[in-house]
Amino acid sequence: MRVNFVLSEVATGLRRNLTMTVAMILTTAISLGLMGTGLLIAGMISDMKEIYYDKVQVSIFLADDVTDEQRGEIESQLASSDEVASYLYESKDEAYERFQQQFSQQPELVQNTPPDALPESFRVELVNPERYEVIAAEFPNGQNGVDQVRDEGDFLDRLFSLLNGARNATIAVAVVQALAALLLISNTIQLAAFNRRNETNIMRLVGASRWYTQLPFILEAALAGLIGALLAVGGLVLTKVLFVDKTLAGPIKAGIIPPVDWGAIAFISPIIAAAGVGLAGIAAYVTLRLYVRL
Amino acid sequence: MIELQHVTKLYPASSRPALDDVSTEIDKGEFVFLIGSSGSGKSTFLRLLLKEDDPTKGTVTVNGKALNGMSKWQVPKLRRTMGCVFQDFRLLRNRTVAQNVAFALEVINKPQRTIKRVVPEVLEMVGLEGKAERLPGELSGGEQQRVAIARAFVNRPLVLLADEPTGNLDPETSEGIMLLLERINRTGTTVIMATHDYHIVDSMRRRVIELNGGTITRDQSRGVYGVGR
Repeated sequence: MRVNFVLSEVATGLRRNLTMTVAMILTTAISLGLMGTGLLIAGMISDMKEIYYDKVQVSIFLADDVTDEQRGEIESQLASSDEVASYLYESKDEAYERFQQQFSQQPELVQNTPPDALPESFRVELVNPERYEVIAAEFPNGQNGVDQVRDEGDFLDRLFSLLNGARNATIAVAVVQALAALLLISNTIQLAAFNRRNETNIMRLVGASRWYTQLPFILEAALAGLIGALLAVGGLVLTKVLFVDKTLAGPIKAGIIPPVDWGAIAFISPIIAAAGVGLAGIAAYVTLRLYVRL
Repeated sequence: MIELQHVTKLYPASSRPALDDVSTEIDKGEFVFLIGSSGSGKSTFLRLLLKEDDPTKGTVTVNGKALNGMSKWQVPKLRRTMGCVFQDFRLLRNRTVAQNVAFALEVINKPQRTIKRVVPEVLEMVGLEGKAERLPGELSGGEQQRVAIARAFVNRPLVLLADEPTGNLDPETSEGIMLLLERINRTGTTVIMATHDYHIVDSMRRRVIELNGGTITRDQSRGVYGVGR
């Protein structure tokens, strides 16, 4: 295979359809960028699950008038329970400290909250998170110094279903955009094949192999896919630097939202590139097989 | 060498077959004129030999190979043993004469060394030495057809198919092209030429196969274009 020949054909093809090539690259880039965003959100969700689910599953908030005796009773009950994997006591002071940290971006809220407004609590990790009901039954609300037992998992479930929804929506838009990109690639390849029909007709008649005839078109699409993927990765890097690292700096520092680290971007970049090159190449190949006589 | 057995070709859009139960045989090194009015089946005949189309019925054999069962991947191999020339030359306008000829070798992966050697040889043979760097647009019709013949012959095909190669040329220029095709035929290459040009057929006195409405109505070994002309 004559590399020079194939490459010069690819370059000519891309140049000849410049506007179509640009459109093809941009739609591919947007599609891949959204796909990357979806993957980053998915990664973020699993990081957040690790942060939240592992730490706390059930919170037992104590009443303001809880006695030392009641507190000791609750603690020994937790320590002896088979359902409890581990537990942590959080005093009013500690709760306030954590609150200050979490809402450091909203100083008014912190200022307007008196330090003793937050209840003391036991944060309980269950052996089986599904068995929240058992714990709740053991510590009835409003009795023996217990103010309220809350299933944090329930709240987290709702939070994560929201995040999952965001991820799914992003991926759905990415898929629609990918469809547009594929159609555009198919169209561009048909146009390119039409522009080069004299060459391909002669190639066919003198007995050039199918690969030799098709490869320039497939590489043309794959190259556009690769450029699209590079733009998409560039977009993700810019999003991290300009949006995530700046606007979300507070919550990330407070540990509410996990950071988007370079490792995650480095991990998904090759996936995006492979998807871009692969899909574009396959779209071109299928187009040639279906619509173009070579 | 080339054999058609009871070949019928029916195009989907047409009710009348383009070829209707055609059987014939062409030996290696023959020079054959394929004549007949437009729509008589000449082009279909050539297309079947190139496996551009498959016959509806019957078998086509080229160079001892049956085309019917041939897989798509083997077709390029078949076509490397055949050269094609057309009425409209089909040259690449943006490539020079030498590049047009070299193109046919480049795309079948011939080494650059071979290309550098054989392209000037074949250009000299067709009488275009010194015009290697011209673009097709700068040449006369006859010269452009010589480029096309050089391109068809450069890979030394066993068969040369010519579909009305003189259709766009004046009689004098046509004569030069015919001399060239004769010369190629003398190297052992089978030449099959579809034509309307009775001057040429009458003066060359070669085998004539006449098609009419898809059937062979005449096959003469030293024929003329038409009786009673």
